[in-house]
Parts: sequence; C-alpha cells; structure tokens
Amino acid sequence: MSERSCLSSGRARTLAIPLYSAISLRSVLRISAGLIPALAIYLYVVKLQPPLAVFWLFGLAFGFVLQRSRFCFASSFRDIFLLKDGRVLKAIIIGMAIATLGFGLVMYNLVPNISREIFPVNAYVTPLGFHTVLAGIIFGLGMVMAGGCFSGTLYRLGEGYVASLATLVGILGGMGLLLHSWNWWWQNYISFQPRIWLPHFLGWTGAILVTLTLLLLFYLAVLWWESRGGVTARRPLTEQPLVTFGDQVRSLWRTAFVLPWPVVWGGVMLGILNVFEYLFERPWGLTGEVSRWSSGLLGLIRLSPGPIAAGAGPCAVGEASPDLLTWGLMINGGMILGSALAALLASEFKPRFPRQRRRYAQSLIGGALMGYGAGLASGCTIGAFFSAVPSLGLNGWVFGGGLAIGAYLGGKLIQRI
Amino acid sequence: MIVDVRGETCPYPMLKAVEAMKKAPPGEVIEVYTDHAPALETIPTQAKRLGFTVEIEQTGSPEWRITLKRDIG
Repeated sequence: MSERSCLSSGRARTLAIPLYSAISLRSVLRISAGLIPALAIYLYVVKLQPPLAVFWLFGLAFGFVLQRSRFCFASSFRDIFLLKDGRVLKAIIIGMAIATLGFGLVMYNLVPNISREIFPVNAYVTPLGFHTVLAGIIFGLGMVMAGGCFSGTLYRLGEGYVASLATLVGILGGMGLLLHSWNWWWQNYISFQPRIWLPHFLGWTGAILVTLTLLLLFYLAVLWWESRGGVTARRPLTEQPLVTFGDQVRSLWRTAFVLPWPVVWGGVMLGILNVFEYLFERPWGLTGEVSRWSSGLLGLIRLSPGPIAAGAGPCAVGEASPDLLTWGLMINGGMILGSALAALLASEFKPRFPRQRRRYAQSLIGGALMGYGAGLASGCTIGAFFSAVPSLGLNGWVFGGGLAIGAYLGGKLIQRI
Repeated sequence: MIVDVRGETCPYPMLKAVEAMKKAPPGEVIEVYTDHAPALETIPTQAKRLGFTVEIEQTGSPEWRITLKRDIG
C-alpha cells in the first residue's frame, strides 16, 4: 500500500483510524441519529401491538444486512450479463438454499399430511402462467433501469441516494396502474392458472431435494458463465497488523460495522432471517404493503382503484389498510432505517444527487415498470423469487427466468442512456 | 485520466470505469472518484480481466479513489 496522503477532503486518512476518532462526539451523534429513532419506534410499537414490534426488528435487520453486504438483486441479474460477474447471484442462491431447508421444516409443521387441496398458509405459491414470465421481464427491466429492486430502493434511500425517491414514486405509480387493471387480469386470466407446489407431486423429501438440486445446478451454471468471462478477482482488503488489545477490539468493530461484509454472508443471513420470519408468521415480502400504500395514495387524489379481487399469496395486491400501523410498514420502514443505521455506522451515509437530470426520469420509469410487474406477479424479487423458490412452488423459478430476460434487456438499454 | 462518477446511480460508476479502461492508451493512469461502495466490489474483477492493477484509497466518508494502471509484464 502506498502511504501517500490524499488531499481531496483536506485531511489525510489512512486505513488505520486512531481510537479517539472511533469514539469522537461526531461519531456518537452520527450513530445516535439512526439508533434513537429505531429504538423510539420499537418502544412505541411494542406498547401498542407487540407482534408488530417484532416485524420492526426484522425490517431493521434486513435493511442492516442488505447495506452491510451491498446486497443487490438488480445487480445480481444485471452483472451476470453486463460484466459476467456472478458474485451476488451466487449469494442469493445460497440464501435460497438455506431458506429451502428452513421453509421445508416450517411448512411441514403446517401441512404434515399432503393433500392436493391444501397449500401451506403464507407460503409464496402463486398462480403460474404466462403472466408470471411477463411480470418477471417487466420487473427485471425496471430494476436494472432504476438501479435497484424494491429492497434495493429502500436500502439505497437509507444510504442517501436521492434518485431512489424518484424510483419509489415510480413504484407507487406503476402499482397504481396495475391496481386499476388487476381485476381484469384476475378475472380473465390469473384466477384460472394452477398453483404448482412440488410437495403435491414429489412428497416432502422429493420436493426439497429437487429444489436443492436445481439450486446447485444454477450455482454451477453461474460459475461456468463467470469462467467464460475470464479471471475473477476480488477486492483486496489490506488491514494493519494487530498488536495491542485495543487493536484487536478496533479490528472487531471494523469487521462488523465499517468494512463491507462478504456478499455471501449477506445471502446466508438473509436466508436465516427469512426462515425466522416465516417461523414467526410469514416469509419476507414487500409487495402487498406497497400495493396498500399505492391504493391509499390513489384514494387521496380521488383515483382509488376500488375493490380488489382476491389474489393469492401474502404479497397479493390489496386495498388500502385502514390502520396506519401494519406489519408491512414495519418491514419496509424498518429496512430504510436499518440501512441508514448501518450506513451511519460505516460512515457511508451521504445524500447523493445524480448529476444528470435524466437519471431521475430513468429511475421513475424503472420504478413504474417494477410496480406493475410486482403487482402482476404478486411479489417482487423477494416475494416472487427469494421467498418463492424456498416455498417449493414452481412460480419462483419461472419469475426468476423472467427477471433474467428483463435484466438482459435492461443491461442493453442502460448502456445507451 | 480522471473519471469522476460521484453521485452516479448504480451501475454507472462501474460502467464508466470499464469504458475508460477499454479506451485508455498504453501507460495511461486512470483515477476513478466514486462514492458508490458497490463499485469497489465489481471494478477489481473487470480491471483484472482488462489487464489493469487496482489500488483503492479511501479519500472521504464515503468517497474513494480507485487508481487503475495497465499491467506491465
């Protein structure tokens, strides 16, 4: 490592941060800015509705992990085509493999005796048809245009990316369009489509083994594809040698809260958190809540979509909730604040304004595509893919195929704008 | 050559760095200035594939200077 000091911010900074800066007043204030609201909301909600406080903690944890490991579903599908880099996609596959085992156990407890009429409650097994692929393509294109999926948009908001606000507006708008056409989709097409759940055909063991085998083949395919791109190199992290106990403690702190986590850890932790959330009540998903926000906001401007035909799955679109406090608000809001907290701890929080105006338009359009696609599939990259594949249905795989096609098209498009 | 991609949304920091490496004449040193942390994870692989060495220095919080030099040898 060269020891030249860099004068861009007027202060020389090397990687060895002295102890006094680690406990300076500024850093205490910075961390409090994230910690105090997180705690205050927890204490407020736990008094009113204790179960919701648990969802709040889950939301914080999801946002924290996403930010620390730089997890990004949009980049995972995009970079496979754009850079022949499967770093994040492999972490997603590992997360889904862990969740497959966990969800398998949870669902086994819900449906010990398999019969064709019964589906496990809250699993993401949704009607499977042409609309699933179409939704995946639309969502995949949108997430690459916007530079992040639903979860990406929320945690980028927490890091200070202003363009993510445009994405969020786009998501709510696109979802509004879908809400106005949902009943048509449902009555004319989606309600006739089968929900295909592997345990119905293969039993518990078969379904889990087939899903894990598919995930392994998927992982190997990513490795093969990466090797076609040439050498794969990772960022070298040079850390100072540790001498004193203080060095050790500082290094521990830096590993946990300052340095980026290897993305594969992110995948593992998201998979584990997802299993715990299903044990608690339901798997991780964002779309149902987003549709309720969109519906409520449309109501405010007299464009309410009216009654919504019943969909399928926990991420199915729905009408505005009369309650302000919902489990979905806890998850989605928790993700923003959890990411902000992680970014503040790592000194990575910064309001970032794109230099070109057209990036806002790009984010808005990408968000609108995502909103429509997620509504159509009853789930985003989380509810229709990351939580759907471990639910042992086929819909997650089909949506994932759509995501890949959409991300490929998006990759072609963004190089031109 | 200086590539200042501060403020850019994902994936433009990586794309512009890759573009600069592809266009750089022999012996050119590229300095990429970014505040987008994921770029630190993707640029090393692309640099290696294009025959560049990578040096990452933190110049702010969060801001990094990524120095890309063509591999000699």
